[in-house]
Amino acid sequence: MAERCAVVGVGQTHHTKVRDDVSLAGLLREAGHRALEDAEMSWRDIDAVVIGTAPDSFEGVMMPELYLADALGAAGKPILRVHTAGSVGGSTAVVASHLVQSGVRERVLTLAFEKQSEGDTTWALGGGRSGGVGAGGYFAPHIRAYISRSKAPEYVGWMVAVKDRRNALKNPYAHLKLPDIDLEMVRDSPMVWEPVRRLESCPASDGACAMVLTDEAGGDAASKPPAWVHGTAVRSELGQFPGRDPVNPRGGRDCAADVYRQAGITNPIEDVDVVECYVPFSWYEPMWMENLGFAGPGEGWRLTEDGETEIGGTLPVNPSGGVLSSNPIGASGMLRFAEAAMQVRGTAGEHQVDGVRTAVGHAYGGAAQYFAMWVLRDTKP
Amino acid sequence: MRDVAIVSFARTRAHAGVRETEAQLLFPVVAGAIEQSGIPRKEIGFTCSGSADYLAGASFAFVGNLEATGAWPPISESHVEMDGAWALYEAWVRLQHGDVDSALVYSSGICTRGDMREVLCLQNDPYYLMPLWADHVSLAALQARALLDTGTVTEADLAEVAARSRRAAPGNPDAQVSGDVTAASMAAEPYVVSPLRTGDCAPLADAAAAVVLVAGDRAREVCERPAWIRGIDHRIEPHYPGLRDLTTSESTRLAARHAGAGDAPVEVAEVTAAFSHEELILREALELGDTVEVNPSGGALAGHAVMVSGLVRIGEAFRQIHDHGRRRTLGHATSGPCLQQNLVCVLEGDG
Amino acid sequence: MTDTERPGEDSGPVRFMTQHIALDYVVRVSPLAERFGEQLRSGRIVGQRCSSCGLVYVPMRAFCPMCTVAMGEEDELELADRGIVTSFTVLTPIQYHGQKERDDYALASILLEGADGTVGQQRLTGMPLDQIRMGMRVEAVWAPPEERASAAGERGYGFGNAIEAWRPTGAPDAPTAEFAAHVL
Repeated sequence: MAERCAVVGVGQTHHTKVRDDVSLAGLLREAGHRALEDAEMSWRDIDAVVIGTAPDSFEGVMMPELYLADALGAAGKPILRVHTAGSVGGSTAVVASHLVQSGVRERVLTLAFEKQSEGDTTWALGGGRSGGVGAGGYFAPHIRAYISRSKAPEYVGWMVAVKDRRNALKNPYAHLKLPDIDLEMVRDSPMVWEPVRRLESCPASDGACAMVLTDEAGGDAASKPPAWVHGTAVRSELGQFPGRDPVNPRGGRDCAADVYRQAGITNPIEDVDVVECYVPFSWYEPMWMENLGFAGPGEGWRLTEDGETEIGGTLPVNPSGGVLSSNPIGASGMLRFAEAAMQVRGTAGEHQVDGVRTAVGHAYGGAAQYFAMWVLRDTKP
Repeated sequence: MRDVAIVSFARTRAHAGVRETEAQLLFPVVAGAIEQSGIPRKEIGFTCSGSADYLAGASFAFVGNLEATGAWPPISESHVEMDGAWALYEAWVRLQHGDVDSALVYSSGICTRGDMREVLCLQNDPYYLMPLWADHVSLAALQARALLDTGTVTEADLAEVAARSRRAAPGNPDAQVSGDVTAASMAAEPYVVSPLRTGDCAPLADAAAAVVLVAGDRAREVCERPAWIRGIDHRIEPHYPGLRDLTTSESTRLAARHAGAGDAPVEVAEVTAAFSHEELILREALELGDTVEVNPSGGALAGHAVMVSGLVRIGEAFRQIHDHGRRRTLGHATSGPCLQQNLVCVLEGDG
Repeated sequence: MTDTERPGEDSGPVRFMTQHIALDYVVRVSPLAERFGEQLRSGRIVGQRCSSCGLVYVPMRAFCPMCTVAMGEEDELELADRGIVTSFTVLTPIQYHGQKERDDYALASILLEGADGTVGQQRLTGMPLDQIRMGMRVEAVWAPPEERASAAGERGYGFGNAIEAWRPTGAPDAPTAEFAAHVL
């Protein structure tokens, strides 16, 4: 049976538009160093490294694990590079946890990153061709379909945009700091991919995130309380087929059901204390509330409207500010997983939610077809 | 560790200039591996693949490949932007958990779409090495030169490897090039980049391959002669060629040790040597004596499908056990310039 | 991306060096895409029905991804060049290096009559961008026969340049029920 896996260290960079003071290796090393410091371990203590990042064309570096081996202390060690589109930060953490849960490795360093300033993201998202529509251009019709299906009022999107940016003010690492943001400002921002407005969209950031995962012995020996992994799951579904529902994708529902089953979660809204989920465009908050089983079909937007997803609400969502506030694409999924760990360990500082015992981390990617999730608790499974 | 075996292996022939899309290339290979495995498609517990966007010339290229797996209902699946051998490693790790018993591993690459001597330059440090456009053949030539300078290997030895690989290949219908060539004829070929001649450099190919892994006794239920993974490990070296001793492969030595390659004699070794001198370096690192048959398939020198070759070597090592009744074989994969990263997989048949 | 700063000018230390890397790829047209393209040049949109599940796909593809069953010439059928807009977005094209689009434009997913799968990323024309609706009935605007040069894109979706865009037919919109399951 699976070994227990503990998150004993978390680190990230200050996400920002351009990090012109570090190389790609430097960016990763910053996050890795912080995670190791948090874990009170050194690079030498690590016996395997797992990295994840979005397409190589985002930085123009093919298979970056080769170039990064030295900087990540990986010489003489195994290193893997995971690539599952936008969910990659999450699936990377899942692969890293597999190494521990299988008993193959004892102390794994996992990192995810993007240095978007060193490439042209929209060009890369368009496959290096003209006519690239960007992620927003792809998801906008799905968002329209959700709004039409659920009859949600249009201000729900604005509310999420405001909530996440106000949460970001409490997160020293977050990229976007918009202290004056309010509903009117979001409403009046230009339409980018109808019906998605600019202030309802994520930024492009340079940033990296790292975690140290250990086996049970490592978790017991950690001086700070670890976050224990109670479940991990990944699901992939075909991106296009007749009758596909990309608005409430089955892959997401199945991923959540799998990870909840592992963690003994039967009533998500009651059993989960905080969710860090992947919301790159504000309407994805209500959509994922439904997809992850926190609300019934067509009802997810009510959680937002009623303020339940605020830090003081029944189910705080993205207290870190989420992807809407910081989006180094390859790292964003891991940031969700890492912020969930911080909430369980009580290290989230100003954006800490009180009394967190159970946290969920979630990431998605591709044509809303790749999903990765984990459930963490402050006690052992 | 849980016992995990390879129970099936399917591949396309290696050849250049395929017209099919990657998904079209994969579809029959994945279907073939699954059918041969005896495991129903819906029972497969985990899927992992390896491929590279920069070969396809499009970001997110791997997404289209998912269609070949029939990912509906949704499947538990992951992907590495690496040779399929590392996808096999990830699947092997996943099967250790005990909750699922079978995994599908596949890999594809249409490298002849682009010029690998340009594309693979992007594997280098973007600040200091990439702007030099030091392509992988030139870097390999540096390594070959370093090896020759030790005095332990001559150009004639390189030519012998090149010739032997092509002579072996006719026995393998999936090889790209083969022929009754002599070392002398290989030695008379022009240099591509001195000291590497045309025969010393693998012809590049497009291909797809797939294997199915099964854990525990189920492997014996579905397969007459499964190839058990007795050990599998991978290691990487520093990136900068100037920081490494290019005449040895320390990471291969380490991976082999951790995989237990030396625990018992190996009869056949399939190693990914895209250049003839690499085979000599790998033989030494893997401690392969003269009794070991190396690359009976012809190896990468008979057709090198980037991102697939490593998985194919492991598959060929499986074939040696499953089809030819061998007892203990080894498959090796490599990644990066001058054998920077290496994976070793030790296989054993029952009895 | 930051512009290159030239040493010698009073702009402080060099922070970025611009390095434009161009790689050429030859993507060969698959035999299936070539066949689809041939039919398009003759003004025919050809799809396939899976012999196992009966779903109709367009453009043609080598296998049904749901059943993982191969599809061949025997599964082909011609589809009308009319359909319904099931979803759309209006885009302001981001001007990245190599982008050729300049003005706002609309892309839609279209469910052709007789098909079970939509064709995505189709241009819409012949109406103001703010009047596009889900459920709108459209027909193909074909390029002149001599200009229908390329086959379907190598990824197998789209109509190459054989169909320039889709325009409204003027018929009443399709009821939601007819396309709600096809938001892609």
